[in-house]
Amino acid sequence: MKRHFRELSVLAALLLMLLVLALFTPNFYEPQPLLSRLTAAAPKLILACGAALIIISRQIDISIGSLFAVCGTCAGLLAAAKIPFAFAIAAAIGIGAIGGAINGALVAGLGLPSIVVTLATMVTLREALRLAQQGVFINLPEGAQWFGLAMKPGQSFICAVALAVLVVLAFATKHLAAGRFIYAVGSDAEAARLAGIRPRAITFAVFVLMGALAGLAAVLNMAQSPQVDPNSGRGLELEAIAAAVVGGVAVSGGRGKLWGVLIGLLLLVCIGPALTYAGVKPYWEKAIQGAIILLAVVADGLRSSARKGLFD
Amino acid sequence: MIKKLKSHEAILVTLLIAEFLFFNATGRRFATIDNLFNIVRHSVEIGLLALVMTPIILTGGIDLSIGSTLGLCAILFGKLWRDAGLPPWAAAIGAILVGGACGLLNGALITQLRLPPLIVTLGTFSLFRGLAEAITRGVDAFTNFPESFLFLGSGQILGVPTQAWILLAVAILIWLIVHRTVLGRSFRAIGFSSEGARYAGLPVERRILFCYVLAGLVAGIASLTYTARLGTAKADAGYGYELLAITAVVLGGTSIFGGIGSVHGAMLGVAALAVLNNGLTRVPAVMNIASELSGVLTGALLLSALALGTLPKHLAAWRARRHISLH
Amino acid sequence: MAETLLQLESVTKHFGAVRALKGVSFELKAGEIHALLGENGAGKSTLIKVIAGAHSPNSGSIRISGQIVERLTPALAHRLGIACIYQQPALFPDLTVAENIGLRLENLGLFQRVKWNERRARAADLLNRIGADISPESEVRSLSMPEQQLVEIACAIGAGARIVIMDEPTASLTQKEQHLLFAVARDLRQSGVGVIYISHRLEEIFALADRVTVLRDGESVSSHPVGEIDEAHLIRLMVGREISQIYPESQSAPGDVVLSVRNLNCAAGGIKNISLDLRAGEVVGLAGLVGAGRTELARVLFGITPADSGEIHIAGNLVEIRSPQEAIAHGIAYVPEDRRRHGVILELPVAANITMASHRKLFANSWLNLDRERVAAQKFVTDLSIKTDGIDAPAGSLSGGNQQKVSLARWLETDPKILILDEPTQGVDVGAKAEIHKIIRHLAARGIAVLMISSDLPEALGMSDRIVVMRNGTIAAALPGKSAAPAVMSAALGARA
Repeated sequence: MKRHFRELSVLAALLLMLLVLALFTPNFYEPQPLLSRLTAAAPKLILACGAALIIISRQIDISIGSLFAVCGTCAGLLAAAKIPFAFAIAAAIGIGAIGGAINGALVAGLGLPSIVVTLATMVTLREALRLAQQGVFINLPEGAQWFGLAMKPGQSFICAVALAVLVVLAFATKHLAAGRFIYAVGSDAEAARLAGIRPRAITFAVFVLMGALAGLAAVLNMAQSPQVDPNSGRGLELEAIAAAVVGGVAVSGGRGKLWGVLIGLLLLVCIGPALTYAGVKPYWEKAIQGAIILLAVVADGLRSSARKGLFD
Repeated sequence: MIKKLKSHEAILVTLLIAEFLFFNATGRRFATIDNLFNIVRHSVEIGLLALVMTPIILTGGIDLSIGSTLGLCAILFGKLWRDAGLPPWAAAIGAILVGGACGLLNGALITQLRLPPLIVTLGTFSLFRGLAEAITRGVDAFTNFPESFLFLGSGQILGVPTQAWILLAVAILIWLIVHRTVLGRSFRAIGFSSEGARYAGLPVERRILFCYVLAGLVAGIASLTYTARLGTAKADAGYGYELLAITAVVLGGTSIFGGIGSVHGAMLGVAALAVLNNGLTRVPAVMNIASELSGVLTGALLLSALALGTLPKHLAAWRARRHISLH
Repeated sequence: MAETLLQLESVTKHFGAVRALKGVSFELKAGEIHALLGENGAGKSTLIKVIAGAHSPNSGSIRISGQIVERLTPALAHRLGIACIYQQPALFPDLTVAENIGLRLENLGLFQRVKWNERRARAADLLNRIGADISPESEVRSLSMPEQQLVEIACAIGAGARIVIMDEPTASLTQKEQHLLFAVARDLRQSGVGVIYISHRLEEIFALADRVTVLRDGESVSSHPVGEIDEAHLIRLMVGREISQIYPESQSAPGDVVLSVRNLNCAAGGIKNISLDLRAGEVVGLAGLVGAGRTELARVLFGITPADSGEIHIAGNLVEIRSPQEAIAHGIAYVPEDRRRHGVILELPVAANITMASHRKLFANSWLNLDRERVAAQKFVTDLSIKTDGIDAPAGSLSGGNQQKVSLARWLETDPKILILDEPTQGVDVGAKAEIHKIIRHLAARGIAVLMISSDLPEALGMSDRIVVMRNGTIAAALPGKSAAPAVMSAALGARA
């Protein structure tokens, strides 16, 4: 019980939030809008899982949003060119993995701080995308949206995929040696090295995985509308990091649970409608997001002993 | 170490000259006084931010929120002037103080709670920008500033753009602090070894706090020149400026790990970026994609500068390994 | 006849000019606890590192179970069944005990499944075997240092180690935890493991060990079964040598009391109830074994870890020292033990290092005055005979002894009234040592009160006007300057007189 204290307290906050919503804005629970909301959040869940793994390994990746946009655009272009959809999906994931590999090579291979590397790749990718696409929306062919299904089954499918990714990753981080190595490296890279684990290889792999997940998330996002917006994904990295941090992932590395990330994300998703009910206008969203990240980090910082963080 | 720094600046100057020659050849009306003033006007904010980013990076920290601070200060300047009815000079002081408060928040969280600068400034990056958006309700923009204020951004003093004098003044101040005072010496010491600095009796937390507060104040000043130049204060003011500032600083030879670096290097870095940015808008072939191209090249430049920065270390390690295996 | 697990013959090891081991022979049999005794600097940790494969000997042979082993590496040592329990465990703070043990002992491929039940069971079994009351599910971060050591021991047993080295395992244990550790050591012995047990606590050695080997100045002086020797004899073996070096004589009688400490406590530093006085012009040696709390006391006096309670008086005035800046303002200077991390900043030039603690004094209004700095630095380079490639050379390019002089110069520049030196000649060559000793005497003659922490007994005895011996965070004894070495060592060990 004590070990899960952090995650359970977020769960309590979420349940409280759901209760508040049930009492004051019961139309939050109307099936169709709720499903739509969850579907819109599904790609974010995937990104948050990836971000969580990155943070657990004691790194950070703020290029997630740009990778997302690049992968989505590529998949959209391929689909619009009448290339089989399955191939477009694979390409998106592959391109994401390549982007992640670039980050990983610079961080793990050259020992550069991940914040500056991913800051650079974030801008480079986004501007390259702007260059290539000029902000032109891509019209997807018939049958691309909702993966060719009707809206409701399509939405359910997307949510299911996101949950499946969560389940697979949660399983891997708990039951596969590789998953545990991520925690080991994030907790103490030197002890990991002494125990025969290769920290640099693990770090590289986590970045590649993050990239692939960004590609998958982009595909799930793409399937939700008839067009691909090449300007999408702005600020997604912060949402992902916020969900992870709120969900109990520590910036000092080595701790955090993926199911906690799910709760963190749901909590953040619920805050929107809750604030709307409370009369808080939507333009407060970014400020509140920043405040939430700070609060979560301060709370964790106060609780744990002085432990060196990512950039010291 | 001194030799390395000199060669770094030499590379930068070469880069600058190369850029100049290239754009002179391919660009239209690049090498004119008008354009030069243009370059200068456009580079003041980045210059100011790069100036204060240098001490922060010297101490081994980072500030991802200064662009957002700039935006918040710009908005508050507009609000104080338009809605609170303050005269521009009073609103300006208010804006600068707000910047200082932002820096104080960063510095306090970092030094008192011992939180990593990375995640703190990532949070305030969002918070400050969010506050700017909230105050303007996402749509509001402040315009119609009086001529006396706009002079800051579009006027000239002694034949040189007004804001250039501000940049010059701040540059001299920061240069003196970093290179000629004990504060600057202590920034380097802290960057190399914060424990070693502590044992030498240096007030480590106080110095780090100073860096962040200074950054906030100067971001406030930058918000004024920005607003005066554009004639408008909007919530997205300074968006993305932190990347440009960091790139300029790293290009200029400051090590991202702390301890090594120079203010004049950062200024050369700013110049290189500003000329690149402007030059691209003058080359007919790429004119319409100038801003995107500039973004791509800036990101690529940062990555290259970072990678090259680690080259000596990796070369030495490679040599050491070869030595061991040979024996 | 028990098998001989480990046999070292005439092992030497030098680091540059420093000869740490000058021909050590050592033997460990299966099913015995063999204590290794020696004062600081006798060569114990070097010997241990040689056995664990971290250092390779320059000459001599290592036999493990009768086979000569060439080129012993840590990985090879691990495979051959050698486990070392250091005082700083290399565990993962955020993971559970079961996982820590699992990660160390398992050899899983990336995509193999983790068998949590087996992990938990194995951890529980190992912890049970050594009688440790630790839940396998506890997070390592929540464990105390001794508990973490027990986890390391569990790892060692789990790895099937046949030679277990324990480096001062009871240094920070409670009575109850000590008994637990003894039981563990005895169990290991019972199961045929050979334990090398390093400790300063003579009562432990007599209670636990079968044999004891004394190291002195890098040589193995003698090995005896524990039953055939007594404390006094052991102490004589540890220190017995002529104090052949000549130390500069004291010039004058001590002056007024400049530093007066009463009932000083600091829980974080582990020091309790310290009271002492320091007079101008005297050199007080602070003796004691590693872990006695001497550096911690220095850190309290210098403001790095402020005291919880107690009083500090400087020149008769009650003061509070909450930070190094305050200490410096009161005229206290501290030349730290860890030269490379705390004594100098390696990347900065010698001149910058020398002036680093004296900014307020040398530089008016915070403006760097490079000329003044040059003059100040050059003066010390000359006065202290610092060998450097110019005062702009980075401190990292200097030899250890010269770095020490730079560190000393930095603090002398502050014009201190109280100078605390922490192992001032550790790792310094003989020539530089003598120079530093002369400097210290000279400083005392100028009226500075010197508190010198030294683990080098002859140095402490030769240089000090008075000796204060610390043990377990308190003052064990105060002795006059020309005391005999055994007297000091006894007090440091807490031996019965």
